[in-house]
Amino acid sequence: MSKVPLASKLISLAEAAQRVPDGCRLALGGFAVYQKPMAFVRELVRQGRRDLTIIGSAHSFDVDMLAGAGCLSKVETSYVGLEKHGLARNYRRAVEAGRLKVVDYPEMACWDRFRANQEGFDFWPAKFLGGNDVVTYNSEIKEFPCPITGRRLHALPAAKAEIVVIHAIAADEQGNVVIPARRLLPQSGDVLMARSCDHVIVTAEKIVPRAFIKRHARFVDVPSYRVSAVVEVPWGSHPTPTLGRYLADDEHLDTYVAASASDSAFNTYLDSWVREPADHFAYLDRLGSARLSRLHDLGSLA
Amino acid sequence: MTAPASLHETIAVTLARSFADGEVGFTGLLTGAAAALFGTGIPLAAMELAKRMHAPNLTILLAGCYHNPDFSEIDRLPDSEHSAMLRDLTCEAQMVDYPGQFVLKRGDVSFGFSSAVQVDRVGNINSVCIGPYERPHVRLVGPILQPEHMTLFRREYVMMPHHDRRNFVEKVDYVSGVGYPGGLEGRAELGLDWGGPCMVVTPKCIFDFDREAGRMKVRSIHRGVTAEALQDATGFDLGDLSSVPETDVPSDEELELLRREVDPRRVLMPVHEHGQVG
Repeated sequence: MSKVPLASKLISLAEAAQRVPDGCRLALGGFAVYQKPMAFVRELVRQGRRDLTIIGSAHSFDVDMLAGAGCLSKVETSYVGLEKHGLARNYRRAVEAGRLKVVDYPEMACWDRFRANQEGFDFWPAKFLGGNDVVTYNSEIKEFPCPITGRRLHALPAAKAEIVVIHAIAADEQGNVVIPARRLLPQSGDVLMARSCDHVIVTAEKIVPRAFIKRHARFVDVPSYRVSAVVEVPWGSHPTPTLGRYLADDEHLDTYVAASASDSAFNTYLDSWVREPADHFAYLDRLGSARLSRLHDLGSLA
Repeated sequence: MTAPASLHETIAVTLARSFADGEVGFTGLLTGAAAALFGTGIPLAAMELAKRMHAPNLTILLAGCYHNPDFSEIDRLPDSEHSAMLRDLTCEAQMVDYPGQFVLKRGDVSFGFSSAVQVDRVGNINSVCIGPYERPHVRLVGPILQPEHMTLFRREYVMMPHHDRRNFVEKVDYVSGVGYPGGLEGRAELGLDWGGPCMVVTPKCIFDFDREAGRMKVRSIHRGVTAEALQDATGFDLGDLSSVPETDVPSDEELELLRREVDPRRVLMPVHEHGQVG
């Protein structure tokens, strides 16, 4: 056995967010209103990040908050909305005012762009984009003939994220990430994203010992060498849910949605919930243990 | 004495009759009361009815994740795609990957349901923006899975919860789902192998398509709606409507099945305060 100790990739949330420079192409995991790395997003706002491009397949509060805080210049995705809570109003205002550029992609195509990176390709072929304005307004999608059959295809540019951030239930200090056996789309999407990029940052509900990882080795779909940094962030997707662990905080989401009705009201929200709390744990204190404890989801025993 | 069919029941029956045995029907989980009813609730009721009538081997694919979910165990439809309630719904196959068990691009999905803010006369749909793309008057959610619905699914039912001039326009501001520009030939020239809208269902009427000509046409008008009111609510010329029939009412057997077996507790199609939405 080597006498050299295993390298720890455990860093603080502030350090992790510092790795994202202004102007970065950043992929955020989760899907729509589920399991978004919201603590990481709040830290980016706290640090005043600018000109970010966000890439993914469906977005909600993550992009809306970053848009409302003026952190974004571009979004490449299939959806930005709040599902049952309606349109993402900070995002909508920013796009309508011309402050934020959107590059629209179909939902499946968004995943294919990450698949391209996973397979080491610069593009992924699509045969269903003829006549769609997704092509009209996106000069990065190129039409080309299939080299085998000659049929018309479109090349979707690879996602080419510089950094991928996902929120998971558990990881060890070396960056072995456990994905639950009973996973759903947001979690499998996270695995795909984590396989598409050289700089993967994982925020995890819990940092677990190696023994735990070894006991659940078959659920480690993102192994240590794929991960650059891990951060222990309990309630790290709040107010969105971490599937099978805790539910969406609908009460807080209602507060958020009400605040997003205007720039000034949202700025007040950001002061209260993002800028004033010194860090994520101060944010959790502000929410209160009673509220958080009511959000537990027993999930499954299997 | 059977109470007369509501509009929602009439639409569900019209849809159910059009499904074939062995098909796979995909519905997402739309949000907002009206969209959820038109885009999710009515289609689910229609598919359940078809299974009991003539299509026992129809597969209901909910949210792309849940194959043949058992709605008898719930007292309301889930309002979010990955809610714990949906996750725990009994079904025959549950996806743990994306796209999961169904092979989207090979054409596994026989038909799907979508909704949109705008539809135009060739059947293009739009959920991206109103007004110019770069500086829209209204920025909407984005294309979502509509491009796939309108090309990779074998056919599509466009479920429109509202029927006003702003929804039914000459030309959509952004094509996020392709109809029949240039007809079937036009679709072939665009490199599309199959698919496209087969019906557009609204609270006022049902449209189908002259696919050769690439033109939406009124197939039937719902009871209580005049041809004049329908034209007034539509932003393009519907042509001569004098010979368009009233939408077929359900048979007693269909109504009995819908009410007693498919949706006895009004989970899929909640009763409106007046029993009908028109």
